[in-house]
Amino acid sequence: MFLDLDKKKSSSIAAVDSTGMQISYGELNGFANEFYSAINKRTLIFILSENTIGSLAGYVASLSVKVVPLLLSSKTDKEVLDKLINLYRPEYLWLPERLSGDFNYDFSFRKFDYVLLKTGMEAFQLNDNLSLLLTTSGSTGSPKLVRHSYSNVEENARNVAAFFELSPVERAIAILPMQYTMGLSVITSHLFAGSAVLLVNGTLTDKSFWSFLKEHRATSFTGVPYSFEVLSKLRFTGMDLPDLKLLTQGGGKLSNKLFLEFAEYAHRTGRKFIATYGQTEGTARMAFLPADMALAKPGSIGKAIPNGELSLINENGEEIVETEASGEMVYRGPNVTLGYALTGEDLIKGDENNGVLFTGDIAKRDAEGYYYIIGRLSRFLKLYGFRISLDETEQIVKSVFDIDCICTGNDEMMKIYITDRNKKDQIHNYVVDKTGLFHKAIEIEIIDEIPKNASGKTIYSNLSLQ
Amino acid sequence: MSNLEKYDEIFLTNFRVTKEQLNTLEYQSVSVWDSIGHMGLIAALEETFEIMIDTEDIISYASYENGKKILLKYNVEI
Repeated sequence: MFLDLDKKKSSSIAAVDSTGMQISYGELNGFANEFYSAINKRTLIFILSENTIGSLAGYVASLSVKVVPLLLSSKTDKEVLDKLINLYRPEYLWLPERLSGDFNYDFSFRKFDYVLLKTGMEAFQLNDNLSLLLTTSGSTGSPKLVRHSYSNVEENARNVAAFFELSPVERAIAILPMQYTMGLSVITSHLFAGSAVLLVNGTLTDKSFWSFLKEHRATSFTGVPYSFEVLSKLRFTGMDLPDLKLLTQGGGKLSNKLFLEFAEYAHRTGRKFIATYGQTEGTARMAFLPADMALAKPGSIGKAIPNGELSLINENGEEIVETEASGEMVYRGPNVTLGYALTGEDLIKGDENNGVLFTGDIAKRDAEGYYYIIGRLSRFLKLYGFRISLDETEQIVKSVFDIDCICTGNDEMMKIYITDRNKKDQIHNYVVDKTGLFHKAIEIEIIDEIPKNASGKTIYSNLSLQ
Repeated sequence: MSNLEKYDEIFLTNFRVTKEQLNTLEYQSVSVWDSIGHMGLIAALEETFEIMIDTEDIISYASYENGKKILLKYNVEI
């Protein structure tokens, strides 16, 4: 069974959420049967996720009975959602009951404040190995999905549980959204280990989060760079949290100052701080820096996870053999996903990656074989832990406002260059709405003309913030 | 500028709301006052009034009105 869930102690708590609901491993397994009797076949389902028991149970049941879910945020814009429904034709939706009024589909059953709705659509053919679909970039509404196999998800859970040394006594804070690859990895790895997952459907600045963390005596916390920025600001390292033993980080590069702040805190107080590296395409995690190396190698993503392998290639695609070198980082391992889907017809496709992932990240390898991310090949930003494609944002602005524009930026902010002063506020509001980004993270600048070369291609290097 | 004017200005620019909205403005009552907006607000308050706000007060800073009471603890009278 999925993650060997039927072999866990059935009375143990699998998850608790911030509404106070909880579920044992036995109940989680029982629910999978109930879920299957309602659906009774292998098909496609959309789960409108949030970090609650209902959402978690729907995900676990789907994977257990081989129904294939696409996880989307429950806050997904209705227009974006309808577009995806038309494109991928899910036969079922599993969503928070309070949202069910927005849909004109047949009611099937309810449980844990979630409902199952039947769309009446006929699903596309699904490849036998296809287990799970996740989006690649936040909420810009890209139809591009990452296709995961059953072994991708299992291997990620097994490996992460191994290198974090997880056991059934763990109580992990799961505050990163479960439709986000690393949020999901926190959940699956702890379920694999038979631990309890503390689901938080809120943010670090909620007063209720801190009482929840203390009440349930959380033993670990996983965050993205922005989470650590907030923790630092909240003077986390001075808090009295005797049960919290493990801090893990992923989702982009932590500044050296914050890295050292948390590595030193962990060292001083007998805790572990583990930096990791991953992408949706590699089922969340591909590299990690062991806790005892954090102070010796600040800023490093460490080495490949168990059963994985990292290497560097040059511009000609040839592997660089020297130890100390930099180049594009390539990952090989059992957690490399099958490939992408752009339409429903792609769901029948098999493995297109064959276990090799060209990460698009430029890395440096030191004399001892530790890796450091130093740049990126492709045009996307990681803002607040979410991947925002610059090309995609550019396309959206161009088509909606019928103007030419350029998007650039760094991991702190996105800049959009336009020539029409009158559209500045409109575009700003629109992009804020569509991406869900904080308004100050997006800046619109007016320029005289969009720089182009002789063949009409945009010249990005002429603009600042590259 | 009076303290009240400075205080209002912080909310107006950080959350892009109108003056009429201020009195009823609460944490998460508008989409921009989320976790990220909250940290932006705290940073702006600390900078403007040259204070350092405690953890407990940061997570209790739940509205425009109740914030005024919190600032009193730091000898900032709005």
